[in-house]
Amino acid sequence: MQLKYTGIIMTEYRTHMKIIGDILATTRDDLQDEDGASVTYLIRKANVSHSRISRILKTLVSQGLLEQDGTTGSNKYRISQSGREFLQAYYTFTSFADNFGLTI
Amino acid sequence: MGLAIGIMSLIGFRNTGSPTLFRLTIAFFSISAGFFVIWAGYMVEDFITKSGNIERWIQTLGIVIQTIGYFFIAFSHSIKSFFPKSRYFRSVGIFPLFLVSSVQIEHIFRSISFILLAYGAIETMLSYFENKNKGAISVAVGLALLALGEFLGWYSFVFPESILYSISMTIKIGGLIALFIPVSKIPLTKIKFDDLD
Repeated sequence: MQLKYTGIIMTEYRTHMKIIGDILATTRDDLQDEDGASVTYLIRKANVSHSRISRILKTLVSQGLLEQDGTTGSNKYRISQSGREFLQAYYTFTSFADNFGLTI
Repeated sequence: MGLAIGIMSLIGFRNTGSPTLFRLTIAFFSISAGFFVIWAGYMVEDFITKSGNIERWIQTLGIVIQTIGYFFIAFSHSIKSFFPKSRYFRSVGIFPLFLVSSVQIEHIFRSISFILLAYGAIETMLSYFENKNKGAISVAVGLALLALGEFLGWYSFVFPESILYSISMTIKIGGLIALFIPVSKIPLTKIKFDDLD
């Protein structure tokens, strides 16, 4: 676990891949309701800034890992089947890299 | 074994796009290729030239290729920012350091390999103390055995007729087995190729 000094407290350094993993895990395991997770909810759960999470969500939707539902007025996100498979691969190879003392 | 780990890393890279797994792919494919070149050298000597000794340049080539692999293992611990799609080639600009011309270039590369492997083993062991992942112990031991094997291989030049070189190769194979043990426990049955293509 790599720590980064932020000036006040020591926080865990997260790679871009880990942030994506956290977002996908939230949309799979920790949904607010059946419609999916809102951006605000994902920001809070994944602990990422709005501008950054907007870019990531756009990429994940374009890659088919997340499904976007805008019918209820506010955008909500749910994990797709491809997203579930990606998340499984992510966990598998996180374990693989851990053996080498590395983070993916 | 090295090839198997390299293929698993490649599957991981294709499934996740992780730069770490890309570096491990290069590392283990290089190590495998290095061993293959040396093995091919012995085969050529046994069946074609029959000179009694492997061609020196073939052995040096194999060691150089292996050293590239060890470089990527060791510095995966410190290279955190480069990604293969962007500034990849800039990050390998350190390679000219390895290309110092010398009569005893094989000695130079063996010593570099030893340092890289020792560094990788120490870093992996330190990661165990942080994460308590038992697989990291096996990998650290594997890298340490490879380092020891490389050291004995280098030292065998002092006693060329001894069995040091055979011991060195045996220890290196033991090191690769130790690397493979935790990796073999990773379940890959449900991983699909090309989902993201």
